[in-house]
Amino acid sequence: MSSSTGPRVRILSFVNHAAPGNGHEEAIERAFEWGVDVIVAQGTGSDWGPYWLGSGTQVAANQAANVRAYVRAAVEHDVPFIFSFGIAGADPHLDECLTQFDGLCKAEGWQLEVAVIRSELSKEYLREAVAAGARVTPVIDGVGLVAELGQAEIDATSHVVALIGPEPIMAALGKARNGVITGRALDIGLFMALPMMRGIPTAVAAHAGKLLECGGFALSPNDSSQPIWAEVTMDGFEVRGPNPNYQPTVRSMVGHTFYERSNPFIEENPGGVLDLTEATYTQTEQGVYCAGAKWIETPYQVMLEGARRVGFRAISVLGVRDSFLLGQVRAWSDNIENMIRTSDRFRDAVEGGTLTVQTRIYGLDGVLGELEPNKDVTGHEAAVILDVVAQDRRLAEEAAYFGFMRLFTSPYPGRKTTAGNAAAPFMPVVIPVSDVYEFSVQHLLPLADPITPFPMTVQAFPGWQSVQEEKPRCS
Amino acid sequence: MQLAERAAVIRSKNAGPFVLTIDVFFDDDEGYARAKASPVLTREGVAEVYGVAEHSVTGVHWNDMVRGIKISMLRWKSASDPYCSDIFGAHLHTPLAVCEIG
Repeated sequence: MSSSTGPRVRILSFVNHAAPGNGHEEAIERAFEWGVDVIVAQGTGSDWGPYWLGSGTQVAANQAANVRAYVRAAVEHDVPFIFSFGIAGADPHLDECLTQFDGLCKAEGWQLEVAVIRSELSKEYLREAVAAGARVTPVIDGVGLVAELGQAEIDATSHVVALIGPEPIMAALGKARNGVITGRALDIGLFMALPMMRGIPTAVAAHAGKLLECGGFALSPNDSSQPIWAEVTMDGFEVRGPNPNYQPTVRSMVGHTFYERSNPFIEENPGGVLDLTEATYTQTEQGVYCAGAKWIETPYQVMLEGARRVGFRAISVLGVRDSFLLGQVRAWSDNIENMIRTSDRFRDAVEGGTLTVQTRIYGLDGVLGELEPNKDVTGHEAAVILDVVAQDRRLAEEAAYFGFMRLFTSPYPGRKTTAGNAAAPFMPVVIPVSDVYEFSVQHLLPLADPITPFPMTVQAFPGWQSVQEEKPRCS
Repeated sequence: MQLAERAAVIRSKNAGPFVLTIDVFFDDDEGYARAKASPVLTREGVAEVYGVAEHSVTGVHWNDMVRGIKISMLRWKSASDPYCSDIFGAHLHTPLAVCEIG
């Protein structure tokens, strides 16, 4: 099926923010029996919402432990790796992961040389880009994103990252002996870099990236804790499952091209559109051969992500088991919401937009909210979560406490349970949850030069220290 | 028969924070054909099932090779909304899943 001459790149892929699944070490060995030219794993995404980007904190994933077996294999076989680290992937997240990675290298006795590429753009860069006339517009209309990114949004946003394309990675590959680590990146770009450097067409490289980007999720059964492997050549690529229990099928391959995309065939990327309308997938003896992708060039733009703080969340939880109250639980909760909103104490904050309240009733409308067709509780129990978001923790907790007291003690029509209205399972009754963020930036930045805004530095591990290199200015 | 009973896979997920995408796959030609003929699996039908405006259903796509359907719509509460009930959008398929498709 594949070309017998011409460039060939064999890629072993996994997902680095998930703990590797059973059998992964044997699977890695199997992949190396087939041959591996590069190990690639992405670990960033917006799927986890704006909280991580806004707060600068990192999910409790042990990315160092997750990559250990793969880096060990890379070092033993002297092949490079390419990783994106940090979920939100801004500087603090990348730093946290690099600190862990540094510790891993020390513990394993490795001496690595890695090109590190930061994806966070400085505010100065963005201000200059906007001031110079760059039109930075939303990736999607009609969802409340500002029509054109301006100074106000840049100032209000804590960190802005770009989903860097393959170009900065291509510039870095070969400059450091062991590979490349980036912050936030376009998932498929990590996979495109080496094939494109070897002369494989962008369409094929991008198509391969798409099928490999979630590791074993594209196999059957879907499992992103398992690895996946492909041999990429000029005309297409063959995908195989290194773990015999997780194998590609035509359905699992095409099913993955559906995953997390709004359109199954067309996908916009920096510098081009990947068109899979005519893609073909053929079962082979060892896997699935994929071909037929098209790449239509477009002006180069990177997607930017940024988050800003909107307040602090505090909650209170009550359990309702009494059938009479269950019969009016939504009216009861709505009434308490109104009490909070119209109270002397909180009315001004509500009207000023610094306090919002909602009750989520699990057992009635917790998942679908207003779209829930069932208007009555059909079971024997429900959980009422009073959810308060206010400009600061003190106000959120005070309003949540006020609401809890009203829920627990206020009379409702026909009440017989006059000693307390519901079951309170937690003490303290008010649970401080976290700061709350929203995506303030989900915009496209036109770039004449896809590499210079994202410089790489070659770093030694162990011995890495977070040094805030001066960030590029917008030229 | 309900869609969820007939389909091999029915799943929802975020396509970015603001868009919900629902994938349905059939193992048999007849089930897929019935789905294709159903008025529910159109932009208008999906909008009605979810109780959203038709213009927020951005597309219904068909892939005959794998008997797959993709429905995409703007999320009524995005993953960016403080009162979003499902950050990943992974459990919002049920209004469609319980639809009768014959």
